[in-house]
Amino acid sequence: MASSTSLAALPSQLASPARRAALSRSATARPRHHHHSLLRAPPKGCRLVVTCNAQTAVPTSIAQGTPVRPTSILVVGATGTLGRQVVRRALDEGYDVRCLVRPRPAPADFLRDWGATVVNADLSKPETIPATLVGIHTVIDCATGRPEEPIRTVDWEGKVALIQCAKAMGIQKYVFYSIHNCDKHPEVPLMEIKHCTEKFIQDAGLDYLIIRLCGFMQGLIGQYAVPILEEKSVWGTDAPTRIAYMDTQDVARLTFIAMRNEKASKKLLTFAGPRAWTTQEVITLCERLAGQDANVTTVPVAVLRFTRQLTRFFQWTNDVADRLAFSEVLSSDTIFSVPMNDTYQLLGVDSKDILTLEKYLQDYFTNILKKLKDLKAQSKQTDIFF
Amino acid sequence: MAAMSSRCAASSSSSAFLGAPLPGGRHHQGSCGFVAAGGGAKTTVRVAAALDTEATAKAGKSSSRARRARKDGGEPGGSSSTALLAPTHPDGGGGGGVALDDVIVNPVGLGRRSRQIFDEVWRKFSRLGQMSTVASPEQEEQEGVLFRGGGPMCDFAVPGAQDTTVLVVGATSRIGRIVVRKLMLRGYNVKALVRRNDQEVIDMLPRSVDIVVGDVGDASSVQAAVSGCNKVIYCATARSTITGDLNRVDNQGVRNVTKAFQDYYNQLAQSRAGKSSKSKLSIAKFKSAKSLQGWEVNQGSYFQDIYPSRFDEGTDASFEISENGQAVFSGFVFTRGGYVEVSKRLSLPLGSTLDRYDGLLLSVGGNGRSYVIILETGPLADTSQSKKYFARMNTKVGFCRVRVPFSDFRPVNPQDPPLDPFLVHTLTIRFEPKKQRPGDSSQGASDPRNFQLIMEFIKALPTGQETDIVLVSCTGSGIEPNRREQVLKAKKAGEDALRRSGLGYTIVCPGPLQEEPGGQRALIFDQGNRISQGISCADVADICVKALHDSTARNKSFDVCYEHVSKQGDELYELVAHLPDKANNYLAPALSVLEKNT
Repeated sequence: MASSTSLAALPSQLASPARRAALSRSATARPRHHHHSLLRAPPKGCRLVVTCNAQTAVPTSIAQGTPVRPTSILVVGATGTLGRQVVRRALDEGYDVRCLVRPRPAPADFLRDWGATVVNADLSKPETIPATLVGIHTVIDCATGRPEEPIRTVDWEGKVALIQCAKAMGIQKYVFYSIHNCDKHPEVPLMEIKHCTEKFIQDAGLDYLIIRLCGFMQGLIGQYAVPILEEKSVWGTDAPTRIAYMDTQDVARLTFIAMRNEKASKKLLTFAGPRAWTTQEVITLCERLAGQDANVTTVPVAVLRFTRQLTRFFQWTNDVADRLAFSEVLSSDTIFSVPMNDTYQLLGVDSKDILTLEKYLQDYFTNILKKLKDLKAQSKQTDIFF
Repeated sequence: MAAMSSRCAASSSSSAFLGAPLPGGRHHQGSCGFVAAGGGAKTTVRVAAALDTEATAKAGKSSSRARRARKDGGEPGGSSSTALLAPTHPDGGGGGGVALDDVIVNPVGLGRRSRQIFDEVWRKFSRLGQMSTVASPEQEEQEGVLFRGGGPMCDFAVPGAQDTTVLVVGATSRIGRIVVRKLMLRGYNVKALVRRNDQEVIDMLPRSVDIVVGDVGDASSVQAAVSGCNKVIYCATARSTITGDLNRVDNQGVRNVTKAFQDYYNQLAQSRAGKSSKSKLSIAKFKSAKSLQGWEVNQGSYFQDIYPSRFDEGTDASFEISENGQAVFSGFVFTRGGYVEVSKRLSLPLGSTLDRYDGLLLSVGGNGRSYVIILETGPLADTSQSKKYFARMNTKVGFCRVRVPFSDFRPVNPQDPPLDPFLVHTLTIRFEPKKQRPGDSSQGASDPRNFQLIMEFIKALPTGQETDIVLVSCTGSGIEPNRREQVLKAKKAGEDALRRSGLGYTIVCPGPLQEEPGGQRALIFDQGNRISQGISCADVADICVKALHDSTARNKSFDVCYEHVSKQGDELYELVAHLPDKANNYLAPALSVLEKNT
């Protein structure tokens, strides 16, 4: 089978990660070689070095393979915030959607409810990937590792395996979501990995579309809106960073427009929301719309950075340190946004169609307020008192 | 206990925070105060919990609090350094309390609660430093309410979709599959009629679709499928071009569905002792001699000239029951410019007025002549003030049902206002030879001045706001020519049955279907057999779904295809730019220019 031969080639190309050295205070910055065929992803400190050969297996002829319909899509990370909106949009536009989810004891059923087919695979186990790519025309990659897992297995090794597999099996379009300014922050492991993945895709020879994102509005609901409504404490930083949040539904919509646009093929686009906000501004907006003052705890960014340094001392908190690395960005970048006029023009989209944060939060507070209270009232009724 | 502790964890984060960090960098084996809220009574219990947290260690260094609104009144401010074991009962409160001894003594519970508090605090803290947030399970559930299944915050929300059940006939077809998915995304309840219930079909359809197994040609399975549904989308088509199949699916299937739908609504109406809003109103039924009462035969002339011409050979007409019990209106008109008519003053059942109806349905057997139906409106008392409105009715040889919508009626006197069905008091059917079509080939040699009209019934078709059945028919341009006639004939028969059923219908005739994603190209809506381009299945599905709640879609049939970009200056086409954007209701403006009741 074509897929198995290419797959056997895969693990041998991945160098086994070096054993993690014992903790050391000296942070030596390893020189980075962005060699054409060899990529390193060495963050600061004596971390493991992952090397990967960008030469993928020669695509074997699949002339007698499964016929591929141009409307078939595989969405990786379909249960995530962005992934589910991509699935919804794809289903509405008439694509046949296949979702890659990890096998779980209680699987996420909503994908099947919407009409997508669900296949089980795990990016950290590359042997499960090829079967999911059979008969697929386009792969949309919205996956990232969960915070409690080490970044490297899913975000780097898993992605590399997926890309190599896609190349070998002749996937005709690969859409990848990255982070804005990921090339400017090599000290943040996730951004470094995203940047290296971008380069890997570009070198792999696939027809790709890379989209860099700034931030999602959906996350603000859980972080600010819900605690304000429930009169709980809201945690925010005093960082001056302004982030241009964008509605994931708009991201999904623009992704599909870009996917079908020939001018956007093999391009790297950045999607930023209509306006960049600081956390304090967001909290103020939520307070105004909710009509009540927030119980705000402001944690200085310095504290975050200190925590990060602290957790790096201990091996068992290294993953946490990786996650907190974004605090470095918070203290350095002041505006996490890009002007979108050129992108809108390329895609043929009117900037007035993109949802603003005020409208989004206003919709939330007016529509959902009552619904949530009803839900909570119902859930309170089921508590049993002894 | 578990329930309470989970609530405590949720509300404790605020007070845990209040308890933990301190100004002045003092390390302390954190005391944690948490509030157990039970019913109306608040019992504040201070428990010493050993929190070996890095959170307290570093949060203790420096943290400035911008604003703090204290909600629980029982806590003294800031003096949380000492571990207080004494419980304070601010309010008398009834049964919400927990036995305090249990709380203090139970180490497992303490440990669990402290762990929850720590997790909560840590989660909030670490979230600040992260790029993306992964929602916790409670949030997933809340978000599910908001974003899934047509909730208010999603792109595809349709108001009222939760209460509407749509039956999709042909759910395994190319269009049908996309229709089902779109309906699910918008939060409708979906029922599907499929022929086989095997694994492949089940995999193809979303899980919460109610599957009914049966064939459209079989009236009983259609009845089972239709029960409980508010609307029907009919995308089934015959998979082969065998005439039997065509008739079964495209013709008989549609009839079965309309009949079952009407039956279901009548049944519902009966059970509440009322009348179904979708049933037709019977104006006249010609069953026996008694039914001829009130019908007068008149004759007249269009010419005001009262002098009988020398060439006048007479006019005669009669309206009577024939030997086989049928009511026959027959006669001849040889007078130039003459006509005969049979008319009756309408007597509708009490409480019904014609304004709730938007057309007439006549079941007649003619010999191909055309007649004029005249409605007189005006105040009942003063008939000289009546205004007359007329519409033409064409009959075929043999029995047929003719649908005459009120919108077809024109005033006899051009200055009169349009027909107001509420004021109609007299119905007349007139035959006039001068308006007969000359080349009526079905007549052969018989004289067009003779006529014979067998009348069965006259009913009024109900009006409504929205369409009830959406039928996907075809234009025939995608079918090979030798089969086209048969297919179109069967489809047309199905369409006509639907139009005459009295239900609100929308008939969509797409161009040849293509497997492309929808929402990309502009669409053209037309009524005239002029379209030539193809269209994607997803666009057709989108039109079907949007037509369900659109009042401009009711009682319209139209063709739809992609716009042909190279043609310039072609005014025949009504161009509708369908932009793939968010609040996209291209259907209403497109359909509002089309003719109704076609």
